[in-house]
Amino acid sequence: MSGMLQGKTALVTGGAGGIGTAICTRFVREGAEVVALDISPLPESSQGAEQVQCDITSEHQVMDMAAGLSRRWSRLDILVNAAGIEIEKTIEDTTLEEWNRIFAINVTGMFLVSKHVLPLLRKSDGASIVNFGSYDGFIADPGLAAYCATKGAVHALTRAMACDHGPEGIRVNAVCPGYVDTPMLQSFFGDGGDIESLQQAVRDVHPMKTYGRPEDIANLVNWLASNEARYASGQLWIMDGGLSAQVQQMRL
Amino acid sequence: MTGGVLDGKTALVTGGRQGIGRGIVDAFLASGARVMTCGRGERPEDLPREVAWSRTDVSRRDQVDALAGQAERELGPLSILVNNAGVQITRTVTETTDGDWDRLMGVNARGVFLVCRAMIPRMSAGGSIINIGSISGRTADPGLALYNASKSFVHGLTRSIAVDHGPAVRCNVICPGWIMTGMADEAFALADDPEAATRDALARHPVRRFGQPSDIAAMAVWLASDQSAFATGQCYVVDGGLTAASPLNPGLF
Repeated sequence: MSGMLQGKTALVTGGAGGIGTAICTRFVREGAEVVALDISPLPESSQGAEQVQCDITSEHQVMDMAAGLSRRWSRLDILVNAAGIEIEKTIEDTTLEEWNRIFAINVTGMFLVSKHVLPLLRKSDGASIVNFGSYDGFIADPGLAAYCATKGAVHALTRAMACDHGPEGIRVNAVCPGYVDTPMLQSFFGDGGDIESLQQAVRDVHPMKTYGRPEDIANLVNWLASNEARYASGQLWIMDGGLSAQVQQMRL
Repeated sequence: MTGGVLDGKTALVTGGRQGIGRGIVDAFLASGARVMTCGRGERPEDLPREVAWSRTDVSRRDQVDALAGQAERELGPLSILVNNAGVQITRTVTETTDGDWDRLMGVNARGVFLVCRAMIPRMSAGGSIINIGSISGRTADPGLALYNASKSFVHGLTRSIAVDHGPAVRCNVICPGWIMTGMADEAFALADDPEAATRDALARHPVRRFGQPSDIAAMAVWLASDQSAFATGQCYVVDGGLTAASPLNPGLF
């Protein structure tokens, strides 16, 4: 059986995270050769991707990684910028150090990795970059100020990269997940009281009455990475179970 | 009247009997404009004497043409047109009857089209059209299917008018959030526990209060004035921050 990504090469940042792991697993299943970047080891559930240790906030580490990649592969077809962290604070409680750290990972890391693998992406005959935005880049969750700001930056960077590198045959899109069942979400729920009732309440706010699984997001990333999406570029793809389609749900 | 930002301007506001429309009529008057408004019924008793009234159903072409003629006689060339008249029907698509469609789309969609078509040629150069859309035209309120869709129509028509009829006229849309009018009162009255519902709704507004017609009128005055001379084709949301926040606010659970 020939997969949707047969013969393609893919680099996934944040490949050990909840969504990153699901993407790597899906890509391998679709026939891609996958390198997962992360500073943490890949979880046991990750199958078939090869890990490269890389701190994407360090330009020399990213340059070393890119050099290694170009020795290994003659071209790169897919780059997924999935590395990201969340800081659960208002701006008043956020220190400058925390602010700089979340921008370093969520935005600067995306810039550095994209910048240094561009030469390899240009050698593909149909490259696709998928950045991780968020529905929080459109509307705010309380107490996530810096995170919301990084995701707004990602959305703007996505459109800028799509304009600049479209003529070189590189498509650039962002996926904007809503609530997805990952360690990051569990942490967000962490101190909110009875987690079971909280999670049920959260499900109930979604028109689909559930939140997403990492595999749901991987389905979209897989499509954007594949040749089926050859005309898709410069867009922000929200996937949130309908959450942001609604006006705030007053409980009448 | 001393030095208002709308001194010397003329304005027609549809649906000015009550609520947001009436708030806009009052604010325009206070800002120095000469104002005419209309509605389907008799002239409201408390409407200020200097405001002209026309009994008009904006969904009827013959009545809109008569309104345009009367506006021209009463006001001369029109500087400001506010399409505020609207109706709301609380039904999903499968519950909606043909009659509901005709009534709601007749006023909210066809009415806006008819009034714009009749008035654009009668507007003075640099005129400003202000349509009242809704946050529900951008994201959906449950059980308001045709209302939501009709407001999306208003948003789209606004852009078309701005593009096709600039620079002669500017055209913008104001998207109110929850404004304390009869429409909002009805929604709370339907709640199982109106007090709890009100508390919950307030908590979702970063400004911690509901809007007043005067909040929307203040934006309408700005869009009607020459202060907004470079603004056209846009949706201006005035909702106390409601739609800036995620609908999922764990702090509320």
